[in-house]
Amino acid sequence: MIQRYCFSLLLLLVAVFVYLQIGVDVAPQKQWRLLLGLESTSFSEIEFTYARLPRLVMAILVGLVMGLVGSLIQQITKNPILSPMTLGVSSGAWLALVIVNIWLPNLVADYSAGFAMLGAMFAMGLVILISGVRNLSGLPVVLAGMAVSILFGALTSAVILTHDQYARYLFIWGAGDLAQNGWDWVQWLLPKLIPLLVFVMAPRVLSLMRLGHEGAAARGLNVTAYILIFFVSGLWLESVVITAVGIIGFIGLLTPNIARRLGARTSGDELIYSALLAAILLVTTDGLSIFLSQFVSDLIPTGITTALLGAPALIWFIQRQFKAQDQVFFRLPASAFKLNTKIWSLMFFVLLVSLVISITVYRNELGWQFHWPNEFSWSLRWPRVLTAFVAGVGMAAAGVVLQRLIHNPLASPDLLGMSAGAILTLVLTTTFFGTSLNHFGPVVAFVGSLLTLGILLVLGRRHQFAPSTVILTGIALAALIETLVQFALIKGTEDTYAILRWLSGSTYRVEPIEALTLMVSVSIIFSIIVLSSRWITLISAGRGVALARGLNVNRSFVLLLMASALLCALVTALMGPIAFVGLIAPHMASLMGARSAQQQLLLGALLGGVLMLCSDWLGQQLIYPSQMAAGTVVALLGGTYFILLLLRGRMR
Amino acid sequence: MEYKATLRLVYLRFIVFISCCVTTCALAAPVYAETIHDSVGTHHFEQTPKRVAVLAWELAEQVIELGVVPIAMPEVQQYQQWVVKPSIPITVEDLGSRDEPNLEKLMQLKPDLILIGYPQSDIKEQLEKIAPVLYFNSYSKDHDNVEAVIWGFKELAKLFGKQELAAKKLADMDARIKFLGKELQQAFGAPLPKVTTLRFANTTSVYLFGDNSISQYVLKKMGFNPALPQANSQWGVTQTRLRELRKVGEGVVLYFKPFEQEDKLRTSPLWNAMPFVKVNHVNSVASTWTYGGAMSIGYVAESLANSLREVAVKSTKIKLDKTVVMN
Repeated sequence: MIQRYCFSLLLLLVAVFVYLQIGVDVAPQKQWRLLLGLESTSFSEIEFTYARLPRLVMAILVGLVMGLVGSLIQQITKNPILSPMTLGVSSGAWLALVIVNIWLPNLVADYSAGFAMLGAMFAMGLVILISGVRNLSGLPVVLAGMAVSILFGALTSAVILTHDQYARYLFIWGAGDLAQNGWDWVQWLLPKLIPLLVFVMAPRVLSLMRLGHEGAAARGLNVTAYILIFFVSGLWLESVVITAVGIIGFIGLLTPNIARRLGARTSGDELIYSALLAAILLVTTDGLSIFLSQFVSDLIPTGITTALLGAPALIWFIQRQFKAQDQVFFRLPASAFKLNTKIWSLMFFVLLVSLVISITVYRNELGWQFHWPNEFSWSLRWPRVLTAFVAGVGMAAAGVVLQRLIHNPLASPDLLGMSAGAILTLVLTTTFFGTSLNHFGPVVAFVGSLLTLGILLVLGRRHQFAPSTVILTGIALAALIETLVQFALIKGTEDTYAILRWLSGSTYRVEPIEALTLMVSVSIIFSIIVLSSRWITLISAGRGVALARGLNVNRSFVLLLMASALLCALVTALMGPIAFVGLIAPHMASLMGARSAQQQLLLGALLGGVLMLCSDWLGQQLIYPSQMAAGTVVALLGGTYFILLLLRGRMR
Repeated sequence: MEYKATLRLVYLRFIVFISCCVTTCALAAPVYAETIHDSVGTHHFEQTPKRVAVLAWELAEQVIELGVVPIAMPEVQQYQQWVVKPSIPITVEDLGSRDEPNLEKLMQLKPDLILIGYPQSDIKEQLEKIAPVLYFNSYSKDHDNVEAVIWGFKELAKLFGKQELAAKKLADMDARIKFLGKELQQAFGAPLPKVTTLRFANTTSVYLFGDNSISQYVLKKMGFNPALPQANSQWGVTQTRLRELRKVGEGVVLYFKPFEQEDKLRTSPLWNAMPFVKVNHVNSVASTWTYGGAMSIGYVAESLANSLREVAVKSTKIKLDKTVVMN
């Protein structure tokens, strides 16, 4: 153990030394004297003392905090894949800070940490409420975190889109940037790290907790109170760090895992060693971003290099740690209904009504209007109506398949990172090749979705597509891709807003021919899925059952997964990412009494279609004459529904 | 690509030239008939459009400057906050966002002409169902942005029969910029400092105005060379780190407002170590829209000149102090 620490400290020293030499033209001896208090005179000396050194201190501090908080959360929950990032904390803080910057700019200087803390607490509170305090050790809490992140992300982009000029400069911060030009941020951060002292108590409490709650209570320890204190101080630390440098993911998630792998056994050991490792990691990645910045004209924030190194590392760890979980069975939510003709006819009635409304009811200067559209309005409306409905059907079907394949009622197509893949290729082609988003969009997005799927399939194969591996790989990819998108956004040109608008999922630019193509292709894939619903039923009954019935599980798994990915890719390519429909439509279908895979597919598709139809219509009327994208509306509606539903389930 | 674009531009200019000749001949005739060129081709108009809807801010600016009040444009409120000049008459209807203007509302307003810019170029076909569309691609990497906005301004003037007004405004602007340039050259004395302009993204990174930006065009016209030349780009801006600014040396750095963290910047040692800060060659520029139409060139010039004048006063003071000390 002492050897391990010595070696790591040495590594940190080397990293620090190298860090201080990159692109700095002050000789090491001079650096040493500057450190000892020599007055800096030349510009490069001043840059060393007031830009590089504070940046280094910042990297070390931020790293320490992230490693410590990550390890703490993982130890409390006994869940190796939890971190502030996966708990939705960053998305909450990001939303809160965007709101403060736009509406209360005069409070930014003094209170932004407080607001970030509020946002972070709110997000994490939601996630914990959703999964339940006692269920923090499994995969569902990660999925809940992802869901909350998507909801908050939708809110954030809705806010940014309606106030673009103000939000322009927030992107750099959102991408995680450690650059300093003085010691003031370090001075700001240091006193706010006082809660670190609380963690002196942590090793004792955590090791007692390993005995179990009863054991700990028997030793006279109020476990709940301590956990609460740790959680709150951890959140505070994370929030001040996010306020200071923006969003830097992966470190808190990764380092405790590395620490355990390298032999950190006791909880104190793990806490301290994770913190040390995190500092080394952040200094290294930040050094890398400084190094890279010398060769390209673009700004390379630290968040980018961290994600570029962190995501593959995370995937590698996931691959090693998780074994196939064959014992997971799919559980439908309990339903008070039995699916009968009454429900079917009711659903068709609802579909009809929403169709009529979205075609004939609209707002104008005089108020609400109700009449059959003229030729021009009709030519504008029908492609949008058709696209919205078909997109809903596609995403819902993709969701049903995914949830049953992965044995998790919380899975949804956006979780696999397929939407994110589409986004990435699109954003990259726009920013680096200067093509217009609107001209090549669909094709490029499609390639991206398929690429991501390819990576997923290759990686998933090694573990027979164990649900946890697939989901975690998807999450890691999605997080990586999100960071790269932020990178593209920091260029802050007008194209950025075209990208953001596409990210919000709008039907505005859909042309008739595109709408028809989408309808035909989604219909074909949907029919194939419905026809092969026996496979789905068998696989969701468990691998053993499916094998016993003579099903080639792996092949059908891959085929179904591809069908689902294709649906998602088609929709995303045309409309942009549509979140939550794939998550809640299957859920609602089960609530209404759909039991078999086929019933759930059909009813879910219908529900998904209606949901999108209503969202698209609402989006066009709510803030007339401006429009909100269907994707944003559905994320807000769906997210709220989803959270209420889970909360109600918790109350019972 | 670029070669093609240049060729196209040459070709367009040729057409403009020819058509100018043609119109001068046609002026004698009493009947209105105009052939207008936009970024895609030629359009024939039998009468002056009366109800003009404008979907891009810089084009809204252009027509308002020509004394034509558009019936509708997008994001009126945001325009009033960011572009400010020229102000928008209250009769102008709001069409929603620039990227997704409300087509049904546009249809109800029955325009007889729709002006669009690059962000709306892909919905041109739909717009043509409502009214004739003119497309002016003002900002692009492939042409000179200043030439493009001035060309667009002249074409629009022709369309609305305001050529005289436009010519006068352009000439006045030109003269004014030259006047400001002379005044500043006197204030600074030889040799003139090099000047670079920028917007702050935050306290550690900036957007530099380079080739193809209105700001740099104006400065050059007033006689100031760029202190930190940047390659041509669509909007004429390049993002970079604060440390790069040290290369400005003792040149002048001007930054456009709004910049919320101004106070914080002033206390930054790195900023204060910059050579141009040490010699007081730095100043803010009143909030001005730098991606506008032809007349915005003049507004940018006024704002830059105001800022530069202050810099000149400060630096001559320093020079004077020095001479006093020396005496």
